[in-house]
Formats: sequence, C-alpha cells, structure tokens
Amino acid sequence: MTSKLPLQGIRVINFGWVWAGPVVGQTLGFLGAEVLKIESRARIDMTRNLPPFAEGVPGPDRSLSNHACWAGNGSVTVDLKRAAGRDLVMKLIAEADVVIENFGPGVMERMGFGYAALRAVRPDIILFSMPAAGLYGPLDHVRTYGLSLTSLTGLDSLVGYKDGPPIPVENAYSDPFAGIFGGFAILTALHHRRRTGEGQHIDFSQQEAVMQMVGPAYMDHALNGRVGGPRGNEHPTAALAPHGVFPCRGDDRWIAIATGSDAEWKALVHAMGTPQWATDPAFSTVAGRLQAIDRIHAELGRWTQDHDDRALAARLQEAGVAATPVLKVADLLDDPHYRARGTFIEVRHPLGFRETIYGAYVKLSRTPAEVRPGPVMGQDNDRAFLEILKLPPEEYQRLKEDRVIY
Amino acid sequence: MNKDMNPAQSGALAGLRVIDFGQGVSAPHCARLFADYGADVIKVEPPEGDAARRSGPYPGDIADGERSGLYFFHNTNKRGVTCKVEHPEGRRLFLDLVKQADVLIENNLPRQMRHWKLDYATLAELNPQLVMISITPFGQTGPYSEWNGYDLNAYHLTGASARYCGRPGEMPLEHGTFSADYFGSVTAAAWGLAAVFGRDMAGGGQQVDVSCAEAIAAAFVGGQNIGGLAQDGRWDSRTGVGMPLGAPATILPCKDGHVWMLALEVGQWRGLRKAMGDPEWAALDMFDDMYSRAQNADLIYELMRDWLMSHGKMEIMEICQAAGCPVTAVFTIDEAVHHPHLQARDYFVDIEHPALGRLSCLGAPFKLPACPGGPRAPAPLLGQHNHDVYGGLLGLPAAEIERLHALGIL
Repeated sequence: MTSKLPLQGIRVINFGWVWAGPVVGQTLGFLGAEVLKIESRARIDMTRNLPPFAEGVPGPDRSLSNHACWAGNGSVTVDLKRAAGRDLVMKLIAEADVVIENFGPGVMERMGFGYAALRAVRPDIILFSMPAAGLYGPLDHVRTYGLSLTSLTGLDSLVGYKDGPPIPVENAYSDPFAGIFGGFAILTALHHRRRTGEGQHIDFSQQEAVMQMVGPAYMDHALNGRVGGPRGNEHPTAALAPHGVFPCRGDDRWIAIATGSDAEWKALVHAMGTPQWATDPAFSTVAGRLQAIDRIHAELGRWTQDHDDRALAARLQEAGVAATPVLKVADLLDDPHYRARGTFIEVRHPLGFRETIYGAYVKLSRTPAEVRPGPVMGQDNDRAFLEILKLPPEEYQRLKEDRVIY
Repeated sequence: MNKDMNPAQSGALAGLRVIDFGQGVSAPHCARLFADYGADVIKVEPPEGDAARRSGPYPGDIADGERSGLYFFHNTNKRGVTCKVEHPEGRRLFLDLVKQADVLIENNLPRQMRHWKLDYATLAELNPQLVMISITPFGQTGPYSEWNGYDLNAYHLTGASARYCGRPGEMPLEHGTFSADYFGSVTAAAWGLAAVFGRDMAGGGQQVDVSCAEAIAAAFVGGQNIGGLAQDGRWDSRTGVGMPLGAPATILPCKDGHVWMLALEVGQWRGLRKAMGDPEWAALDMFDDMYSRAQNADLIYELMRDWLMSHGKMEIMEICQAAGCPVTAVFTIDEAVHHPHLQARDYFVDIEHPALGRLSCLGAPFKLPACPGGPRAPAPLLGQHNHDVYGGLLGLPAAEIERLHALGIL
C-alpha cells in the first residue's frame, strides 16, 4: 500500500499575511495539502522584509524568519488591486477546497471575496476567517498586534512576577498558537463537508481561541469569583510545590524544577543531601509545602545557584525529579534532544543559499511531513495558471507583462 | 434531548470515537476539542481518577475529586469510565475499547505506556486504523524522552521564556497558565485530526508524536530566531519591555490597571497624540519616528504618565482605538468575562453539573455555523458511564461489571 500525506488532494488558497494566517497554511501544507498563498510585489508583506537576511543581503525573498514561518505555503503573485487579478484568484478559488484569510471583518467582502461570492463559484467552499475578535460583536473592528491580542483574553493579566504588575510577553505567542489551532478548525469543517457535502464560513475569533489558555483561572473566577494575577512560575492552580525556576552558575542560567508528588519531593530532598531546612515534617505534604512555598523556593535557589544547569538537571532526572535547564535561543541548535528529533533543519533555498528553518515539529509514524523552504514569491505561478487554470501561455505571458500576475 | 443519549453525537466530528487516556491538561484538553465538535469521547481514568481531580480550583477551596474546576474545564462532553490498566483484566477491557476507537489520545510517559504494554506497536496490531495521539513534554524519541516533566519543564526548555518574558537578570517567566500543555494540545488536535481525515490516503492509522516543548521551540521561538542563530550566531534575550525597537510598545499602568500601549506607525502615533489631547511634548518632530521614540522610551513613558493615571483602561482603549491606535486594555479575567463583546457572541455557556451545580463555562473555541460545537454536557463523575460503556459498547452483562468493580479493576 502506498502512503500519501493525509491531506494530499486538498487545495487551499491562503490570503493570510504576517504570521498567524501563513501558519494556518503551513500546518495544512506540512500535512500534504497544496497551499497557494496569494501575495503581490505591488504590496509586499512586511515580514518578507524582516532581517536577518540570507547571507546578509536584504530582499523580499531573503528574510530568514519569514521563510521559517511561511514554509509549507506555496506562492502565487497576483495584484489584488486589479480587477483582472481578482478574477484570476476567483478562478483559483473555484478549484479549491479551503480559503484562509486573516484580514479584519469586511475586507474580503470589499475585495469581492465574501463568503456568498465564493459559494457562487464553489458551493462547498470552506472559508476560514480569523479576525482578532471574530466576525461580529462590539469589538469586531478592534485593532491589535499579535503580542497584545492576549490582553483581551485575560491572559496578560496573569503574566509577571508574583504579586507584581503584568509583564509583557515580547512576541506573539498567539500567532502560531492560533495558526495551528486554525488548522484544526479547518479539519473539523473538512470532516463535516465529507459527511454532508456542505461547506461553511468558520468564524475563528483569535480572542476566543486563545482564551482557552486561561481556562484554569477562568474556572477559579466562575467557582469562587476570584480574579487571578501574576504568580511568577508557581503552579497555575497552586496544586504543586515546589514549582519554579531557580538560578544556576553562569550568565543567565536557570533550572526549572517541579515536584508532582510527595515521592518526587523526597527524591529532591535526598538529591540535595537532606539539608536541615528540608526535613521539616510540615514539608512532607503538598499542603505544607504550598504554605511555605516562598521559603522553600528561596532555599532551593540558594542550593541551585552553585550548580551547572544541565548537569544538575541530569542529576535530578536520575533521581526521578522533573528538572530541565532553561534554554536560551543560543542553546537551541546544539541541544542534543532537538538535534536527535530533527527539530531544526538546514535546507537549500531555490535561490541557491542554505538556511535553517524548523522542520516537522510533530512526528507522524506513517507519513512523516516533508518540509521545504519558505516560498519564493510567485514560485507556483506556472502551476496555478498553466496547470490548474489551464490559461493559454500567451494570455499568461500577457498577464505577467501587464503586472496583473505580479 | 433524551438523557440516555450521548450528548456529543451531532457536530462536525460526529461518528468519530475517541478514547481519552490522559490526565491533567494536555491530552484531556485535546480530547475536549474533539468532544466540542461532536466526537464520541470516552475518558478512561485510573480507579483513583485523573490527577486533575486532585487539583483546584474547588468551590470554597475545599478539595473534592468531583468538584475540581481544572478537571471540569478539560472534560466536558465526555463519557467517563474507570479502568485499572495494570491489571490483566483491566488491560483487556482497555484493548477492547481501543479496538472500537478511531483515535486514542494520551499523555503518559513513553516508558509508562511500554510498561503497561500499551505502546503504539501493540495497539496498532489490534487496530491498524487507530490514530494514536501521544502528547508529552519531550516526545517519544530523543535523549529527554524518558525524562520526568511537567508543563513548566516543557515550557522553559523552548527558549521562549529566556527570550521573551521577564526582566533581564531576573528569572524567565511562563505565562501563569499551562502554556506548553495548551500549545501541545492544539498542535496535537490539528495534526491528529489530519491523520484521521487522511487515513485512506495514508494507508491506515499512525502514531502522532507531539512534544509540547518541541512544538513551541519550533513554531514560536524557532520561527523567529533559528535562521539568524544558524547563519550569524545571532541571538537575543528578554528585555522586560514589550518591543524594544519601537515605542510606545509596552504594558503601562493607568488609573485602574494596565493598558497595552502600542503606537508604532506614524498614523498610530498621531492617533495617540490626539487621544492624549495633543500635549506639547509629543509634538516634537523627533518623536514622529518610532525608532527615535524607542531611544527615548523611558522619557516618553514618564511624559505619558499623568494622562494615563487620570484615565481608566477601558476609556483609554476606546479613545485610542477610535483614533486608529491599536491600544488595548489589559483585561482581568473578570473584565474579559463581563465584556459586552464576548457576551454578545454568546461565548459563555451554562452547564449543570451534579456536584458543582449550575456553572458558566468557556464556550466553543471557534464557531462553525453549519454544525455548532462547544461544551454542552458536564464532565463525568468518576466512573459515571461504566455501565453505559462497558455494558452498551462492549456488551458486558451487569453482573460482570459488578464483578470487575468488586475486584477493584473499575
């Protein structure tokens, strides 16, 4: 039996831009879908011009972060400001299963790509929209950046040092989170379509999807009326102690230690050489440890600070204690675990240079994903216009010369 | 609805049967996503229950395995059975369930699954169509795969905290929730459901090996940083500020809390000036450029202080948004819950639970107009559906179920 990637045969038109939308396409692309991202030299996505660049040479096909975040998407270049360009894209949509967009509400309609218009050319189309706060409601036009979107979910109010002010997360965790989550949403709609023949317009509010992450604090609010706040690295529902990040020897070196049971606590105490402070009988239960968490964390930190993070983590793991070094970006490429799993891969870009991007970060035992470099602008134009739409070559040429395909 | 009917039988994923053999957050949340959209999810717990039952929040902070908010949130719409898989008869029951399932979702350490002889190779022999979704902190392979780990360990192994959260010189931070577990959950849901959808294409079931740490290290941290690190040896660390290359771009205090203050592009900065009532200091030409604002960020934040401290966060958000500036209030949980927007979208649903009473729950994470999803039925009591599942699905006589119960297998 031949093994094909699970989503082979599914065609996706992706209007997604910046980060979240392209990650939706990437997720489906890694799984075998043919994903054609629509973009244009008439309005180049800002992430295509983000440094660092391959070999240090700036250019919209040389941004290393863009390539990593967009890999899995193909690229078809069409100027959407031109009516002829919009007609071409509509013809592609007629040949597609899924359309992805992450504009604000109403933008697709203004371009003539509203759900009703898409259905007219493809009755069972699945349109996936992922505006910040959904397609309707008082905040439907709220402007956010990915890194601040989380403030609308309550999540940002939980991030910070214990009892201190909220500390910003300095990049958009919600973008890849919502992007991958969007892949799931589209797959539910594909299942529905397979059973019923029916497409639909998915209203994926990033606010609501990301708000799943505050479920535990939400439940405390629902059950006890409590409003959570920053608690450092302590356990989100105060069920485990100790549970934190502690200093180690060297510059900005730390270790994360969590004890999930009394047995793990005992193992930790033993690994520390059973210091006097840790033998307090009150500490033998999690309730007692939670009561004295500040003291325990302070003592633990005094112990860890003279140790090497990796050596200590390995030693604690030997004893059955959940401990890991806190990695910096600088540590990722050489980390033996990520090396063994092929988390990061070097690829040869079609323009000739080599670059490192992330590979298939999920391992499928039967159909491993094949990851190719991020798309060169317009790399799939021949495929889209000559093979899928079967345009006569001279018309294709003319559209390119007219900068409709551009 | 007939109360004997499994409530999760309509929806996009109706017809799929899922076994949730997870505890805590990651696997149960992933299985809940399947249950939200109509899969028939059977949660298999050890006789002492999912570890989440031993975690709050509990009403009034009184510990009670049937009243855990953490357990409730992750297990709505599921049927629940108990099974002691380390007992041969328990294992047999579990295998009989797996034979009838499309998907198994679990988050046990790989060595634990091998110890129980419930590893993928064993299960695939019984059910070649099975998609087994394994969500662990570190994954099924690699030097850390046998390590003990929790959400906290996975998160801090990704570079995300040291790079993006906390003040320099102070400890790197996670997000005050199970960020790694949730990232692993949605990743597993997407890749796992694709493996189910494409079983014919792929030629059968397979194991979907998700490492929460790896998913974040790749798709969040790696996406932005790995190319520059590999090519130029370039890497950065957290600054404690939102976005050091532009200003204003951080969380700032105001009269009644905090706002995410962002004004980067020229139009946004002009909007903010207008919102602040065009103060004289902001009219300086040098401040028109976001980079020169960034170089003077501390000064600007100080100059904005009076205005911020005399206005509430909701008012600031409203004025700024109206002026085209993407400022948002840092909602507390309470403010998020009571905001008219989420109310207008019917995001919250009330569910009646036998031990918790009527309570409000976060609703469907996304809206499918043709086949709406979301929580409808409460999380199961421990072993609540033993008769229903072992009797109904596996066809065991009531006396046999009683015998297994008496033996401590259920």
